[in-house]
Amino acid sequence: MKVIDKSDFDVFVDNLIANDDREVVGVQEKDSKFAFETLQSADDLRLDYDVTILPPKKYFMPQRETLIEYNLDEGETTPVNRVVPRIILGIHPYDLVAIEQMDKVFEDTHEDPHYLEKRRKSVLVGVNMENVSDKSFAKTMGTATTDSGYDIMLTDIGDMYTIEVGSSKGSALLDKAGSAIDDVGPEEIKKVKQFKEELSEKFRTDPKFDPFELPSLLKEYYGKDQFWEKNSEDCLSCGTCNLVCPTCYCFDVQDINDISLSEGERMRTWDGCMLEAFAEVAGDENFREEKAARYRHRYMRKGRYMYNRFGDIACVGCGRCSEQCLPDIADPVDIFNQMKEGTS
Amino acid sequence: MKESNLTKEENVENPGTSPYSTQKARIIGERQMTTDSKLFTLELQSGERLNHDPGQFVELSIPGVGEAPISVTSSPTRRLDSFELCVRAVGNVTNTLHEMNVGDSVGIRGPFGTGFPVEEFQGNDLLFIAGGLGIAPLRSLINYTLDRRDEYNDLNILYGCKRPCEQMFEDEVDHWARRQDIYHEATVDFCPDKVCWDGNIGVITELIPGVDIDLDNTYAIVCGPPVMYRFVLEELDEKELPHEQIYLSLERRMKCGIGKCGHCQINGAEEVLYACQDGPVFNYERVEGFEEAI
Amino acid sequence: MKPKVAFFDFAGCEGDQLQVANLEERLLDLLEIVEIVNFREVISQKSDDYDIAFVEGSIATDHDAERLEEIRGNADILVALGSCAAIGGINSIRNSQDPEKVEERVYGEDADKVEAWDKAKAADAIVDVDHYIYGCPIDKDEFIHVVESLVQGKEPNIPTYPVCVECKMNENVCVFARNGGDKSISSAKREVQVPGSQEVEQGPFCLGPVTRAGCDAKCINEGTTCWGCRGLVDNPNQNAHKKVLDKYGLTVEEVLNKYNLYFGWQQEERKDE
Repeated sequence: MKVIDKSDFDVFVDNLIANDDREVVGVQEKDSKFAFETLQSADDLRLDYDVTILPPKKYFMPQRETLIEYNLDEGETTPVNRVVPRIILGIHPYDLVAIEQMDKVFEDTHEDPHYLEKRRKSVLVGVNMENVSDKSFAKTMGTATTDSGYDIMLTDIGDMYTIEVGSSKGSALLDKAGSAIDDVGPEEIKKVKQFKEELSEKFRTDPKFDPFELPSLLKEYYGKDQFWEKNSEDCLSCGTCNLVCPTCYCFDVQDINDISLSEGERMRTWDGCMLEAFAEVAGDENFREEKAARYRHRYMRKGRYMYNRFGDIACVGCGRCSEQCLPDIADPVDIFNQMKEGTS
Repeated sequence: MKESNLTKEENVENPGTSPYSTQKARIIGERQMTTDSKLFTLELQSGERLNHDPGQFVELSIPGVGEAPISVTSSPTRRLDSFELCVRAVGNVTNTLHEMNVGDSVGIRGPFGTGFPVEEFQGNDLLFIAGGLGIAPLRSLINYTLDRRDEYNDLNILYGCKRPCEQMFEDEVDHWARRQDIYHEATVDFCPDKVCWDGNIGVITELIPGVDIDLDNTYAIVCGPPVMYRFVLEELDEKELPHEQIYLSLERRMKCGIGKCGHCQINGAEEVLYACQDGPVFNYERVEGFEEAI
Repeated sequence: MKPKVAFFDFAGCEGDQLQVANLEERLLDLLEIVEIVNFREVISQKSDDYDIAFVEGSIATDHDAERLEEIRGNADILVALGSCAAIGGINSIRNSQDPEKVEERVYGEDADKVEAWDKAKAADAIVDVDHYIYGCPIDKDEFIHVVESLVQGKEPNIPTYPVCVECKMNENVCVFARNGGDKSISSAKREVQVPGSQEVEQGPFCLGPVTRAGCDAKCINEGTTCWGCRGLVDNPNQNAHKKVLDKYGLTVEEVLNKYNLYFGWQQEERKDE
């Protein structure tokens, strides 16, 4: 473990912004919320944030992304993969865990270079959570801290950050800070330990379940139609819970033509299983026409299906869905608690 | 800010390994099958074979319009350097394809998915039950088994359409009907006056009792519109055909074909199936617990 | 042959045709794929020979209805251009009010001479409409997409989901969470400044959760809110949305007022169903 003075860290970041070939992005304030955005100055970086509106997945799987360019006059198609190599500053542990899960999805079966190239060319700078959002239950999901997924990991211990190096990419990045990096002393190690102990007291949600129970709870509740109907009654089918989720990756593909009809792009865009038309097939058949069926599908994905496929519970407890759902019906803690209480 | 992004953007060379890249295929034949369905013969520009299994599908790409998943209807035992797609005009991609002509090019990705277990079928009786356009994926398997006739026992083909004019592959259907080593029955839901039809009139389930099913070594292979499955499966239950001896080909909107986009998931209490990976051909016993399957 | 395109206007501000005129150089690109034979805002020529008719404005008089039927007869494809034609639009605010009072308020002593119907209607209340371009005004890119699709013989891809989708993709701070607003606090009613003016009103409100997307959440991107100009999605969960607005302190009357701004005609249609 290493340490860096906060003032040196700012100089380090400003140097990266000015000199590194890669784009430097980090968490910044946006109105009263936070978002990952291109960083103009280290002063704008808010490593004390609680949660961002969107997770950093947007850098590896952009909201809209070109897969193919085509020229209709000449009948030519050209595969494209536009990659902006980035240094991403301030990723919380739960989002790092989510990124590791997403990696598996895009590596499985056919590798997806559009995602994977962006991942490979990015440096992930994690930061341990100093503040915890009202809806977070990362502690319960075991994602409040993590030992992997980052290139380097920062912990704020007052005047300085401690730094854990997770990869050669991370140590190469750290080399750019030169002599500002010091070896860690026993005092600082103690402070990190204390930081993590205090963190576990900061969670304000009240989950009554263990994440390892989720696959079996969901299996048991799958057929309880009334449960899903009752809980989804106020669903707006707006897809917010999908779009803000760090482990949701479903997408749509559309061809967007330019007005002269001579060229265009095949784009992939974010999609969501909560949207009405998601499971439509040709001829107007819709395999998930009722909002209760779509609502159930989301929970099954998070707590059971992904577990079956990859061994991961695909909910990292970030709390974004519950924070951003307007009718307040997307809180996994509430749903899983109901299930747990209903069975015990 | 955008400009600085541009300078830092790099295009990755050779994303040709992208599973979304298409390969060019040329339309070398076109035949009207019914008022809204056409049979297209295609050949890959690379000169390579498609190398598909019966029951697999391709993503058909028309730049500027989009992609649509289509089952391959030709058998890999025939047409070594080309393949056939039987396409109903129901959406933007298929409508546009119908406007295209011999010589025009389209894009192809695939073949994708899990087809019929042709080896498991060997030495058994096969009962094909096709409704409407469902004949398209089954034809690939039917012709496959005909070309390897000695590997399979009795072949029974039941084919139902709404009306006589909707029957496809007429010449081949005639051929099946004439062959002594195939039991073949066709039905239409309705036959207008003055239309010549010597087959059955009624729903396809009416044909099932007429088939002599040896329960120990018969596989039923079913493909048709969603509404057909329930009735056919009920009738097969009457016959007490074990569910593990029934195979279905299910239609979903496979957008990516490679198990990522999420659109073709079929969910159940136990697990989720991807029609594009685990299917489109499924064993009935495997999917019957899946509420969304049928 | 390039399809012939004509534009017609009914009760409305012609703001949608203005959007088309404002395509500027892209309008020239558009002329590569279509021939414009009727477009009052741009050309003086007039013709009854056209393939695609874009009609703008609500239908509000017998004369309107006759003229629309005639257009329908001439056109292969009829497109409702903008909210007034597509969903009744802002003209249908008056639908829920006493017609006599409305006429008097607007026309004063001349109120007797007004021949308008009591209700402003969407074009599809009179004739079959093949395609809809929503918005007040329309989105230029969506207009291009529709034209391009029709020329290619494709079904245009118009979103069926609500504005929230695009708003989230743009990572906007939700209107209800602005200025530190917290949705977990009930009756979070507070004064918000009406964007672009000095006025203050009770809020926050946003119709994005029940309004059809396709605008890229423009208004919210710019710091204002969604007034619902693209009309309701096909299956809006109005009850849930009203509960949300109630939680933020809007009275029933205030909610109805917001809904009536653009949803007036659609609401009546939904009642009839």
